[in-house]
Amino acid sequence: MSVPAAARGTGDFGKATAMTDSVLAGEVPLAYTAAPGSGTPVLLVHGFGSDFAMNWERTGWVRALADRPVIGCDLRGHGRSGKPHDPAAYTPEAMVADLVRLLDAVGAERVDVVGYSMGARLAWELALAHPGRVRRAVLGGFGPADAFAGADLDRLGADEGSPFGPVFRAGAALPGADLAALEACARGQAAHPFRPDPAPRGVPLLFAAGDRDDLAQGAAVLAARTGGTLARVPGRDHRTAVAAQAMKRAAAQFLAAGDETPGGRAAHGGSPGADGAARTA
Amino acid sequence: MSDDAPARGSTFHLPDLGEGLVEATVLEWLVAPGDRIARNDPLVEVETTKSAAEIPSPATGVVARLHAEAGAVVAVGAPLVTFELEGEPGAAPGIVGTVPADEPARRRVRLRPPQE
Repeated sequence: MSVPAAARGTGDFGKATAMTDSVLAGEVPLAYTAAPGSGTPVLLVHGFGSDFAMNWERTGWVRALADRPVIGCDLRGHGRSGKPHDPAAYTPEAMVADLVRLLDAVGAERVDVVGYSMGARLAWELALAHPGRVRRAVLGGFGPADAFAGADLDRLGADEGSPFGPVFRAGAALPGADLAALEACARGQAAHPFRPDPAPRGVPLLFAAGDRDDLAQGAAVLAARTGGTLARVPGRDHRTAVAAQAMKRAAAQFLAAGDETPGGRAAHGGSPGADGAARTA
Repeated sequence: MSDDAPARGSTFHLPDLGEGLVEATVLEWLVAPGDRIARNDPLVEVETTKSAAEIPSPATGVVARLHAEAGAVVAVGAPLVTFELEGEPGAAPGIVGTVPADEPARRRVRLRPPQE
């Protein structure tokens, strides 16, 4: 996908690329990116087995959010960050602490957070534990069901039966994947199953998922219980919904609604929702 | 599979997606023949066995032809889309062919869908 830097035109896309080429030192080093800019930053939290580039850059999210400062990292165990092999290093608390450490390091007081899959669970936990740091949250490819239900945590590479099996194998097949770290991450997360109670307070939530996403089952129920918004992407599953325009548009509109300032970013083209972003199938 | 791009157009081929994979499946086109598209605008969504991706337009121009329909498997390096380019010659590095400036902007490209 080489896009030459020449002929950049209007310069509107100057922020459309981001790489986790900075490192936050610590017991587990965190590779991150933080683009400067005005307005509420967006923290992007990728899913299991993926990384910032694959989850957000290649899928067009960074382009779609180019009018905002984007912050993101490779989660521990992933991408270019540290990869401990101890499941205890991968509790939701430890991973949320990484996110807070990142926000502190880049001076982001309050952000919108967008997470996909395991990243959505972490976004929920971030909003729950630190409601003052999160303005709005988009939870993509996520539902209240235990993502690891039925998964054979001792033989993940051979897990054919559970919805998590394909997610693990896709991550394990990527160049640079550290299998021991991914297994430890799966076990650390699975040891602390998601609980819908208590829910984050005072943080508007958008649940966005493909309507064929096995791992997002129950998203509608969770949206209803939390007073959240629901967006379904027709015809997409867990792996393919993340790249869908409908999901990016729904998220951008949802986050733009948090901009209260007069003359702020209205959804271009007027009537939000009229372009099918939130088609409720 | 014939690479019968119009003489004045420019054909963009499926880039290497960097996963060591040799093909991708078209999930959804974000443009249709006749659409005007700017460089870097979202062009097409594809999936591989490992992930999904959005490919941005490498050029500013009018979409003349899509070479694969949604659901089709496309090999890396195979024709993906043909544009009629706009702007000054040389505005899009790596793309051969530009529309002569003195020619009216009428389309003369077959708009039949890919036969697959």
